[in-house]
Amino acid sequence: MVLPFLIVGILASFALILPGIGFFYKGFKNTHGWILSLIALLASLALLLTPPAYSLIQDQTISFTPSLTFDSLGIFFSIAMLMVSVFVVFSSYEFMKKEGNIAQYYSLILFSSAGMVLIAFSMDLLLLFIAWELMTIPTFVLAGFNKKAFESNEAAVKYFVLGTLSTGILLYGISLVYGLTGTLQLNEIFKILSQRALVDPLSLLASSLLIAGFGLKMAIVPFHMWIPDTYEGAPTTVSTFLAAGTKKAGFAAALRVFLIALPLKGLLNEWSLTFAFLAIITMTLGNIAALTQGNILRLLAYSSIAQAGYILIVFAIANGGTKALELGVSGALFHVLNHAIMKSAAFLVAALVIQHSGRADLDYYNGFSNRAPLTAFNFTIALLALAGVPPLSGFWSKFLLFTAAIEANMIWLALAGIVNTALSLAYYALIIKRMYIDEPQDNVKMPQPLAYTFILTLSTILIMFFGLFPDIVISYTQEAAKALIP
Amino acid sequence: MILTPILGALVTYFTGKAGTKVVRALALAFSLFALALSILAYGSILTENKGAELNFVEGPYPWIETFKGLSYYIAMDGLSGPLVLITGILTVLVVLGSYDLITFREPLYYSLILFFEGVIFGVFTAQNLFLFFIFYELVLIPMFLFIGIWGGPKRKYAAIKFLIFTSAGSAFLLLAFMALWIFSPNTLNIPELYGKIPFWLQVWASFATLIGFGVKLPIVPLHTWLPDAHVEAPAPISVFLAGLLLKMGGYGFVRVNIGLLPEASRELSWIFITIGLVTMFYGAIVAMIQKDLKRMIALTSINHMGYVLLGAFTGNLLGLSGAMFQMFNHAALIGLLFMLSGYIHEQAGTRDLTILRGMKQLMPKTSLLLIVGSMAAMGFPTFSSFLSEFMVIYGAISLNSFYAIAIAVPLITVGYFMWMMKRAIFTPSLSNHYHDLPSHSFLHLAAYMLPLILFLAMPWLMLNIINPISAKLIIGG
Repeated sequence: MVLPFLIVGILASFALILPGIGFFYKGFKNTHGWILSLIALLASLALLLTPPAYSLIQDQTISFTPSLTFDSLGIFFSIAMLMVSVFVVFSSYEFMKKEGNIAQYYSLILFSSAGMVLIAFSMDLLLLFIAWELMTIPTFVLAGFNKKAFESNEAAVKYFVLGTLSTGILLYGISLVYGLTGTLQLNEIFKILSQRALVDPLSLLASSLLIAGFGLKMAIVPFHMWIPDTYEGAPTTVSTFLAAGTKKAGFAAALRVFLIALPLKGLLNEWSLTFAFLAIITMTLGNIAALTQGNILRLLAYSSIAQAGYILIVFAIANGGTKALELGVSGALFHVLNHAIMKSAAFLVAALVIQHSGRADLDYYNGFSNRAPLTAFNFTIALLALAGVPPLSGFWSKFLLFTAAIEANMIWLALAGIVNTALSLAYYALIIKRMYIDEPQDNVKMPQPLAYTFILTLSTILIMFFGLFPDIVISYTQEAAKALIP
Repeated sequence: MILTPILGALVTYFTGKAGTKVVRALALAFSLFALALSILAYGSILTENKGAELNFVEGPYPWIETFKGLSYYIAMDGLSGPLVLITGILTVLVVLGSYDLITFREPLYYSLILFFEGVIFGVFTAQNLFLFFIFYELVLIPMFLFIGIWGGPKRKYAAIKFLIFTSAGSAFLLLAFMALWIFSPNTLNIPELYGKIPFWLQVWASFATLIGFGVKLPIVPLHTWLPDAHVEAPAPISVFLAGLLLKMGGYGFVRVNIGLLPEASRELSWIFITIGLVTMFYGAIVAMIQKDLKRMIALTSINHMGYVLLGAFTGNLLGLSGAMFQMFNHAALIGLLFMLSGYIHEQAGTRDLTILRGMKQLMPKTSLLLIVGSMAAMGFPTFSSFLSEFMVIYGAISLNSFYAIAIAVPLITVGYFMWMMKRAIFTPSLSNHYHDLPSHSFLHLAAYMLPLILFLAMPWLMLNIINPISAKLIIGG
């Protein structure tokens, strides 16, 4: 139970120190912030990945607050989200070279990461809410980090208005739950609600409010409006952070709240139908909108909406039996990890191109394989994995999710997912077509800085490795799933 | 065996800077090695007469523990044997044939060819449905790039169309395999799965595979990607496309539908046979009115693949063996025709049958090969394609004499090939700027005919390996 505190402590203290150093030490450069924040993030990751951490899981005796848990679900989410932070920080070495206020930039990322870790481990709605805020508020500032650019401001304002609205909705939902049950502990809520014979209409309202609140972060249609604009306008590394990182925190929170506390008895059918429709609408709208985009950032934004739709399947199968739920949760977790890697890689390629040329339109990618062969190759792998081409990692997680849907007797849901996967291949393939087939406007080689190349190659290796040996992750996610399901 | 070409692909790509000659030589060396391996494998299965059993078994090694039944399981039997052999042969010929026709980005090209070969070997030898599916999907990527990078003027459209059609087909296939996996006893190894699938599931799976494999074969309502892809692809790639990629569909029908879903295949055989007949007639009739030589050949291969579907679902030994034999023959003869169309396009500057004239005087060697190739495609009794078409039609008639109408298809085929030859070869020419094939290309193209003549003269070389497995598939077990 100590570990979450330790990690949050490390991240937050580095985050606090950084602006201080930046203020007093005038020679503070990008490199310094980069090294310090990498140290903090890698130390936290190392803490999560080392065996002593696992022995702590078994040791249930050490617990000094019921608000925090230390289970494999939390560890898994933390690893996925911290990995994204590492990717983002690592590539910021290049991307933020010429920016001012650099200490604050890294500090905000660390604060937000601390919030994400806290979300992953919290078992209490109030703590969850505080962590949610800790994660969200820095990202408002980050989205508007290019303070002189019009788009960045627009992105920040749009994100801020909708973000605070969702926070309000979330808080309202939480207060309703408190009013209904008199507790904020997720386990207690489950106990109290499951003893009631009838479904309280208020609890229905509460769960709808919670869906809306989390849904904004998770990029569920119809709460997705801000996503393309914000991803387009924000500095691209920040978009990476939002798309691959904070979105996952939304799923972490939703998995805990919806699967532990709120599967309302007697309403299960309506509940899963609602989520199934949300899932289908989300993936279909995301994929169809992505087909028509001419801007790489907007395309990736819509594709990330579509991916959220796949993960939503896990909520739809809540009453499909234990086996389906186990498959679904482990597929959702795996997909979260995969999506974190694939989406980071894809966004970072866009960041590299934007930094080099200032262009985000797809036309710039024509003949990209001639100008930057290694980057183009890494991008191709990331896109194919996003499309779910076997045997890359993205295939297995989608496969698990769809199998879970079939297992829960919702073949139509699996069918919708599969049709969507085939549909999504079209726009991913269009980018690959541009990179490898179309003629370039010029044949000038593009520089491929080491920081980007390292991260992109690392992600390619991870995608292939998890694709060829998915067992390593799946055995872990299944354990996490078993722990989650009562 | 799968690894050899893939390893070769990597080596070839990274030696790309050393110059084109090195790349070509390496690609040739690797493909020759793979050919030697496949001939050896084929030969040993043949001489030991073990066509009905699994040979060279690797596995099953459990691949992913958490998905029970997903394992790495590779083996060759009488069904895989001929297709592996033709893969080896065609790859060598395609590498040779690309020397003149492919002139840029060669390292990528040759490494993709070897990668493609490796993956195709995988498709034809996988004994686990999931492994099969993975290889089946992986084929799309090199083919997409082949058409897209080295293709003709409308290559981008054709490449995307190809990708969308085939990946949509694969989606149905995946759905079928997932259903089999969930409702069957936790295994996807083909030999273990046999006879354990309930009838209702077989029916649903049959419909899904009809679409999934049907796109590849292609069956008639799903064939529209094929003429475009063929016309735009460079000639050596058309050889792969028609010679190997379409065979994946045929192989899938035999391996999965006949092998795993036998009851449903028997009950629903009338659907498959009808579609097969429609495909045959449609391919033949539409081929007749084509103006573009290559498009005509592409439609001919639709016509020929209809035989495979017809033969496979007759449910008797002659038909099934004929279908397998037909796959092999078609791969060889269509390879020759596509390469020829590539050379004719390069040397005459056109493939338009209304303009192309007088090849007899100006391109005697090319004309000779075109006549020989057309004879093989017509099913002329000097080539083994006659034998396989005969077997399929005989098999169909012995099932139901109504299917004798299939006999009309070779007639139509003969008709349009004759007409094509009359126009392109025997009409006097208007100009005289064409030049003929160089001798080495002539030899290389003539090599396509070798297997066809060999297997006509000694059909036991093929039938001894096919018949045991078809007998086994028909009896069941």
